[in-house]
Amino acid sequence: MVLVRLPSLLAAQAGGQGEFEVEAATVEHALRQLPVADLLFDESGELRRLVNVYVDGKDARELEGPNTPVADAREIRVIAAVAGG
Amino acid sequence: MLLLCGTRKGLFLLHGDDDRAAWELEGPLLTGWSVYHAIRDRRDGSLQVAANNFVYGGTFQRSADEGKTWKRAEGLGLPEESGLKLEETWHVEPGRNDGEIWLGATPGILFRSTDGGESFEPVQSVLDHPTREKWEPGAGGMCCHSIQLDPSDPNRMYIAISAAGAFRTDDGAESWSLANKGVAADFFPEPDNFPEVGQCVHKLLLHPERPDRLWQQNHCGVYRSDDRGETWERLEGNGLPSGFGFPLALDPRDPDVAYVIPEVGAENRVTPDGRLGVYRTDDGGASWALASNGLPEPAWGAVMREGFTFDALEPSGVYFGTQSGSVFASTDAGASWTEIARQLPPVLSVEAAWS
Repeated sequence: MVLVRLPSLLAAQAGGQGEFEVEAATVEHALRQLPVADLLFDESGELRRLVNVYVDGKDARELEGPNTPVADAREIRVIAAVAGG
Repeated sequence: MLLLCGTRKGLFLLHGDDDRAAWELEGPLLTGWSVYHAIRDRRDGSLQVAANNFVYGGTFQRSADEGKTWKRAEGLGLPEESGLKLEETWHVEPGRNDGEIWLGATPGILFRSTDGGESFEPVQSVLDHPTREKWEPGAGGMCCHSIQLDPSDPNRMYIAISAAGAFRTDDGAESWSLANKGVAADFFPEPDNFPEVGQCVHKLLLHPERPDRLWQQNHCGVYRSDDRGETWERLEGNGLPSGFGFPLALDPRDPDVAYVIPEVGAENRVTPDGRLGVYRTDDGGASWALASNGLPEPAWGAVMREGFTFDALEPSGVYFGTQSGSVFASTDAGASWTEIARQLPPVLSVEAAWS
């Protein structure tokens, strides 16, 4: 099981739940199980550009992106990119 | 009376007493979301919003418990074969049939729900419109911001897209004819400044008691049509300081009354002469008079295309919200205005709900 932690905006959209324990093989597999998957992925299935995902503290982009294995990971953290106003 | 004020930073509700004199502010709801448009659906009392976030995209959300909890429409997006992706949602319009809701979006998209907003499908006839290749996005993207249903004909409705123009369907959204004759597109050089499509409509409204009459505030002027958008008459130059502006409001009892809030022009989008001015016509746009008693001066304000609305009470109320975070109300046809909220985030939309 891996623990997925969401920022507050996504937690509000998930009915107030900010942490989910899921059984997953990859980052994408884990995130697809969340009730906010539609906010993380666009209609073509791509992870939205400004969504950052960290696996045990490492940026998933520097690993294997959505295909990063998480079978042995403890935590996936979703963080919105620093942007906007 | 309830005013739903969509802002750059969430949704605020203004609860008014029976006299619409005392107002109580509630919110923000949907924190973190830019609420481009919010309504209360008269059919079931639910709150419905077009809410956007620069990270998580465009959504339609509905609350059946006065905003305590919200549910997103599932799978809101565009088919892969279209080559397009949903950018933002802009306008919510309750449909005629049970469960029917229309949703305007970028890029030039009209969605339809038949299950009360649980899910939406893009209207294929808009997606595949033969003129689409001539459409260009305005500064706010290629937004479908106006959706108007003709109460006299169940198959007729209108949409407006910036910068594509106005479109009418007479067959229940199976096909769309152009409704831009006489409307200028001065951002094209002469003699190409009256194209069949490509106009930058900023807001289009239909008069509910005289549905053959349409009004539009355009990038290039204020217009009225008395023939269902077949032809348009340009109306400014008779009391209006500028033809440029975004919002538009009507009086549901009098088809000859309209209100606009002009801005200097496309290159300087603030109210002219440092005056936050509402201009009112009571003769179908033949003449306009300033209605600004109670509004701050000087004020370089700006009111977004969804930021102006009206109710159908007696006397009818008119309401608008500014990018500076104020909401103003008038219950005497614009003769005087009261600031009923201030220091909100930039106001994107104001809608009235009354019983």
